[in-house]
Parts: sequence; structure tokens; C-alpha cells
Amino acid sequence: MIVEVEVNGKRHRRDLEPRLLLSDFLRQDLQLTGTHVGCEHGVCGACTVLFDGEPARSCLMLAVQADGHKVGTVEGLAVVNALSPLQAAFREAHALQCGFCTPGFLMTLTAFLRDTPNPGPLEIREALSGNLCRCTGYQHIVEAVSRACGHPRP
Amino acid sequence: MQQPTPQPTPQPTENATKYAWTVPPDRTRVIGTSVPRVDGPDKVSGRAKYTYDIARPGMLHARAVRSPHPHARIVSIDFSAAKAAPGVRGVLTWKDPGTEVMYQGDVVAAVAADTEPQARDAARLVRVEYEVLPFFSSEAAAMQPDAPVVFPNGNTQAGQTQETGDLAAGFAAAAHTLEATYSTHVITHVCLESHCSVCEWNGDQLTAWVSTQGVHASKQQIAGALKIDQANVRVICQYMGGGFGSKVTADAPIIIPARMSKDLGAPVKMVLDRKEEHLDSGNRPSAFARVRAGVSADGMLTAFDGVTWGTGGAGQGANFPLPYIYQFPNRRRAHTNVYINTGLQRPMRAPGHPQGCFVTEMLLDELADLVGLDPLELRLKNLPPTAPDAMWAEYYRMGAKQFGWDRRHPTGDRNPGPIKTGMGVSANQWGGGGRAGAAHVRIQPDGSVLVQCGSQDLGTGTRTLLPVIAGETLGAPLDAIRAEIGDSNLPFAGVSGGSTATPGIAPAIRIASGRARDALFARVASALDAAPEELAAGDGRIFVKAAPERSLAWRAACKLLGQEPITADGQWEPGFSSVNTSGVQFAEVTVDTETGIVKVTRILAIQDCGLVLDRLLAESQVYGGVIGSLNFALFEDRTLDPRTGVMLNPNMEHYLLAGMTDVPQIDVVLMDMPERGVIGIGEPPTVSTASAIANAVRNALGVPIRSLPLHPHRVLAAIDAHTNSGGGPA
Repeated sequence: MIVEVEVNGKRHRRDLEPRLLLSDFLRQDLQLTGTHVGCEHGVCGACTVLFDGEPARSCLMLAVQADGHKVGTVEGLAVVNALSPLQAAFREAHALQCGFCTPGFLMTLTAFLRDTPNPGPLEIREALSGNLCRCTGYQHIVEAVSRACGHPRP
Repeated sequence: MQQPTPQPTPQPTENATKYAWTVPPDRTRVIGTSVPRVDGPDKVSGRAKYTYDIARPGMLHARAVRSPHPHARIVSIDFSAAKAAPGVRGVLTWKDPGTEVMYQGDVVAAVAADTEPQARDAARLVRVEYEVLPFFSSEAAAMQPDAPVVFPNGNTQAGQTQETGDLAAGFAAAAHTLEATYSTHVITHVCLESHCSVCEWNGDQLTAWVSTQGVHASKQQIAGALKIDQANVRVICQYMGGGFGSKVTADAPIIIPARMSKDLGAPVKMVLDRKEEHLDSGNRPSAFARVRAGVSADGMLTAFDGVTWGTGGAGQGANFPLPYIYQFPNRRRAHTNVYINTGLQRPMRAPGHPQGCFVTEMLLDELADLVGLDPLELRLKNLPPTAPDAMWAEYYRMGAKQFGWDRRHPTGDRNPGPIKTGMGVSANQWGGGGRAGAAHVRIQPDGSVLVQCGSQDLGTGTRTLLPVIAGETLGAPLDAIRAEIGDSNLPFAGVSGGSTATPGIAPAIRIASGRARDALFARVASALDAAPEELAAGDGRIFVKAAPERSLAWRAACKLLGQEPITADGQWEPGFSSVNTSGVQFAEVTVDTETGIVKVTRILAIQDCGLVLDRLLAESQVYGGVIGSLNFALFEDRTLDPRTGVMLNPNMEHYLLAGMTDVPQIDVVLMDMPERGVIGIGEPPTVSTASAIANAVRNALGVPIRSLPLHPHRVLAAIDAHTNSGGGPA
């Protein structure tokens, strides 16, 4: 099937197998390997991308469903090699260990912080309850989000 | 408070004196501060390439054919349909017809195809005929006297009984004895990045990108498996998505693509899916302990008699340390390994310790109640003497104050209403202490510095330790230092496992950096009108110790090197690192007696790890360890169908992991002991949280809690069992 999709502001037109997952399309066809797949069935959230601005699990979507839509991945967060405030906060607050889950957290948070600019710690935890971190840097992630919003340590 | 007894001081080497970790007061410390990880920008931007992200030109994809049966004999393998499928380039027989598969997920064969979906399709087309054989899906089934012989060397293997002291005298001295059976369950590692590799040959040389905890170990194992020279294998692992002990063996997911790549003349990638990961990438063995123990009227432990068993799957052991930490002067222990038809165990963060800790710490709370002592008091009476590597008593007292232990109620929350609260404590220990590490340091004339070490970063932050140590030693700015790890072409380092990575490589980096600094002093001393030994380095400058105003900025000093860089090597030596850590943890929970749901409300972890190199990294290890152990207590559980022997939850939906909202505020107190040198911290924090939580649940409910996990239905069953046995309402 011919699919036209805009990824991180760049338009792509490809002939794709209907069964190709959106995550595989991003990773293999576009070499945007920042989007990771952890559980393969929508539980861990590592593959979260922005679909028309809203967080979505790219492992639960087919690439053909993205036809005519906009997809945002972690590679699109940084502006000309400068980290976004959220990315910088993740680094400074040590909100990651192995980093495999990190892109999913960042994408979920990008949408969340756009809609909720000044969240409290409980709101942050609630918003991130669909993203799993196995090295379990949860505490530092909450700190990073607070830091990105200009708050001191919660 | 007891004073620590002095440790025997080993004879320090010349380098240990010359490059000791101590920093003179005229220089700023880098070590022990909070340095953000150097690979942070790569990881938050998606630039970090994990093995799973590696793609090579012309790369094929391999997929394993695995046994659906827990035990069967392979009668025949028919590849004809698979070979004819679109995109298929080759097939491989891993287990020959006539041999047996011993567990669900045991590898039988593999196919390689142009794309991953094609490889999956083709793997399904491989026709394997099996003769299904008897199997065990539980320890109890394998231990039946009339059980069929499933494992040729015996379904069980009893170890030597260990006995110390006089057991009869110990029980005679007891005012109270307790008999109970405790158990913990099997969990799997669940690395977010599954086991994977990409193998590519160039003539007789193999380059393997492997998600591994040891690039050098992997290289040696691969060479051994393929019967080729180690010098012809290069293993690369720049970033990895967790290992937790499961990525120390070069097994099928590496050897299959290595062999197929050679046969097919193209790079081959193999990535396990989540189900394969649960079935065949290791697990933490189960543990059972039937214990009889005695305690005197004044709370001294007198005797411990334990019969223990557990399974590490189809042919692997399941031993664990018991009794754990606390001193039973008279004790006996007999352990039996039990084999069942599941995937094999692999080391999982502090192998054996969480199990031994659970049995002992749960027992102690029950004994404390028999004597009528506060459980913390009973522990303080029975700990080994305080020493720098055995600080539990001091930490318990510290923690009790900080946590508010005096607010703990006696066993059983008497408050009316369905929500009960409780507190528990638990201790941990770990040896650690690596001895394998080498490092190379190069100072370039432009002031940039290259530090190389063939270790690898599981996610713990190993890469960041290179600039932290080199930066302080050389006095160079951190942003001038480039760290290279994760490549077996770099100087040798041991596996990142057993908390040995950091104490293995830190001394080598320190010595190599120290030598490079001294060589730099020799080359720039004349410019400062001083002798090399009169110079010092720190805060981005080289200066004269006696007259710090006579100094050169780092880059200006390096410029004096002209064209010839400075190179220096270092290897692990004694005097920079040591072994043995101690720690304690406190947990507070609420338990809903109507739903059985346990919520952890607070955790305090007090942990030492010798010299803290980077506070952020060390703290992060404790947070991660605590939450991993909380998972062990409340969420994770590999569930087998007793009828078919297959795993019922080989996914991340029904195999539960704690999320953000399941995790409480965790307070970490890191005890810095710079005089002890570097000690690893990966394992100890994950030992004791589960038992602190379980004892807190027991404290809340006033019912015996003797097995994990504390899933709601099991909590309700424990309450019911206690009520029905006449124990009164919880």
C-alpha cells in the first residue's frame, strides 16, 4: 500500500506491506531507532510516539494507519542538537539508567507537559503510569519532570 | 554504639600509595560528587545505538524454532516448506533428531531470511515431529518418590549437609522453638532490550554486536563455541537495555547468527521476542526452606535446622545462603537441587541472597514475637560484631530514628477498619570486589584526553566513571575527556556482574591516569621552572604545589607536548578497592484486608559501598535495587500451567512489573567510606526490600507471611488461613 506520512516534520511516501507495524516502519524503514520496542504488546510504553500530537503506542499500530498523519519521535525533540528543557532535565536529574525506556517516557511527557504545564508529583506519576522502567529510575524521572517545569526537588 | 573493629591492612603496592584516592585540600574533588552521566545526551535524543538498533548492509534476520513442549524427543525436522518460503536464505539444525528438548522454548532449529517477518513466517513452517515425554512443572512433582526419571542424573540432587556447633544443645537452650516452611518464587530478568546480536564475518574474522554484560567474556565464549581463535573475534556493545545477570552467556541468540552468518556470507541479526525472553533467557531460582529454629528467653538465637530445596529449571542448581547474616551458633542445613522442565536459571542481581534473606528475616520476626521482643531489638542482639564491612547494628539504629520505628505497633494493627498499616526491616550483605580490569589513557597535545577500558555499561553508568576518575586524577576538565568502552579490542575488563565491574576497573583507570599525569608533569615541569615532583594537577590546571600561582591551564600545559601525545596503561592492583558491603532497609505498608492489596508507603535504604565515585550513579543503583525487590515481593511471578507445563504469562501484561504509581517515596542514605576504596553496589540494595515489605505486611495483619509474592489473592488466603486456624480476625 502507498502510504504518505509526515515524521518529525519530514514527509515520506512509501509502498508498505499492510502488516508492517508503525514501530518497525520507523525503526527499519526510516532508521529512526530511537523508538524502542520493549514488550511488543502495548504495556511498557517504550515505543510511544506522538500521533497527530497525542501519545500512541507504535507497536500497536500499523504503519498504514499513519497514512495522512503526523508522527513525532524522540529524534524530533531536540532542536538543532540542543536538548529540549525536558531532555536536559532527564540528563541532569539522572532520570535514566540503561536508557532503553527513556524515549517512551519523553514522548509521553512531551504531550503531558503541553497539556499540563505545572503538574504536581502525583499528577506526574499518574501520567507516567503507562510507561515501565526496568532499571527503575522512577524517582529521578519525577524529579526530572519537576525540574523541567522549573520546580525544586519534590 | 559499638566501635568498628579495625580491619587488617593489606601491604599497599607502590602505586596504591602514589595514586591513593585521597585528594589534598588544595584541589577540588570530582570523585564523590554528582556528575551527570556522559551518555545522557545520546540516550535522551535517540542517538544511542543499542545492539537492537544495529543494522548492517545486506543483513539477514534469524529466528529460532523452539519446543512448544516442556519435555520431548525430537523425532524429525522437516525444513522443506520453510526453505521454499519467500525471502528464506538458510536453515540451521540446533538440536539433532533423537535428542531431547527439556523445556518449553528450548531451541531446536533456526531459519534466516531477508526480513524479520519472513523469518517468523518461515520458522512457523519448520515441521518438527516430537515424541512427548513426561515432565515436571513443579518442585513438588519432581520430588515425588515415584516420579518418572525425567533427568538422567536424577530429578533431584542432594548436597552435603552442613553442620556447625551442637544442634541438640542449641535446642535445649531454647525457650521457644518454631517450625515453619518459607518459600520464594521464580522470576525472570525482563531486560527491556531482549537478548540480541548481529554477527558479521570478514574472511576469518568475526565482528559481533552483542547485548552483553561482558564484551571480553563474550568474545572468549564465542571463540570457544565456534572453535576459532579469540584474536579473530571482536565483540562490541556500546549501549545495552539492561542485563541484571542474564547477559553473561554467549548462547543460542549469539551462536546461531554467528554460524548462519558464516554459512550465508551475510551479516545476520537475531533478536528474541518477549516470550522467548521469559522462556529461555534465565530466571531467579525458587527457594523453599523447612526450618526449625530456637531462641532463648532473652532473645538470643540458639539453633537453626533447615531443610531447603529449590529449582533452577531443567538441570541447574538453586542454592542460596542460609541462615542469612544473623548468628545462629548451632546450625544445620541440608539443601537439594530440584530439576523441573523450565528454562535454566541465570545469575539475577545478588544470586541467592534475596531468597536467603527472606527466609531468615521472616523467621526472625516470628521468633521476636515468641520472645516478646521488638524485632529490631532481636536483630541487634544477634548480628555479627560491627566492623567496617558489617555495619548493620549502626545502620539499624540510625534507620530506626530516621524512619520513626518507635511508631511501629506490635504485630497486628489493632485499628478498626479494613486498612491496616505495618513496618518491617531487613538487612543485606554482598561481597563483590572485582579484580579484573585494565585501562589506557592518552593525553593529546590539544588537551583532549582519551580513556579506554574494555568494560561495558549495562545502564549502571560505567562509562561515566572513566571521566570522573581520569578527570580528578589528571586535573583535566571533564568535557575534555572522551571515554571508550564496550569493545573487546579495548584493554581487558571482566564482566559487569556480581558488583565487580566498578571495583575491577576503577583502580586500573586511576593508575593509568596517574601515570599519564606524572608523564605530563615531566614534560611541562621546566616551563613552570619546577621539578616534576613539585607539581600538582587539579581544577583544570597544572600548578606548583608550593606556589599555586605558578600554573598552566590544562590545554596550555598539553600544548607543550608538541606532537607527541602521552600514553599510559594501568591494571588492577590491590589497595584501591575492597570487598563486602552492608546495608539495611525499612519499609512501611498499608494492606487492604478486603481486597488483599498491599501498598508500600515508604522505604528507607541505608547502604555502604566504600568510596562513592559518583553519587548520582550510586544512588541510582540503590533506587533501582529497591524497586526491583519491591517487584519481587508484590508483582513478578513466573506462572506455569501445572497440567501442560507451559508458562501462562510470558509477556509484560500478566507478568506484572511495578509502575510509577506502585512505587513509594524512597529515601536513600549512602554511607561513604572512602578509606575502604571502591566496592560495587549493584547487588546489595536489591536483597532486602522484599523481606522488609513482607514483614511489614505481617506486622500490619498479624498473620503468618511465609511465601512470596504477596499478590492480593495470596494475602487474602493468608488472612483466611489464619482466621480458620483459630488465630482470630486479622
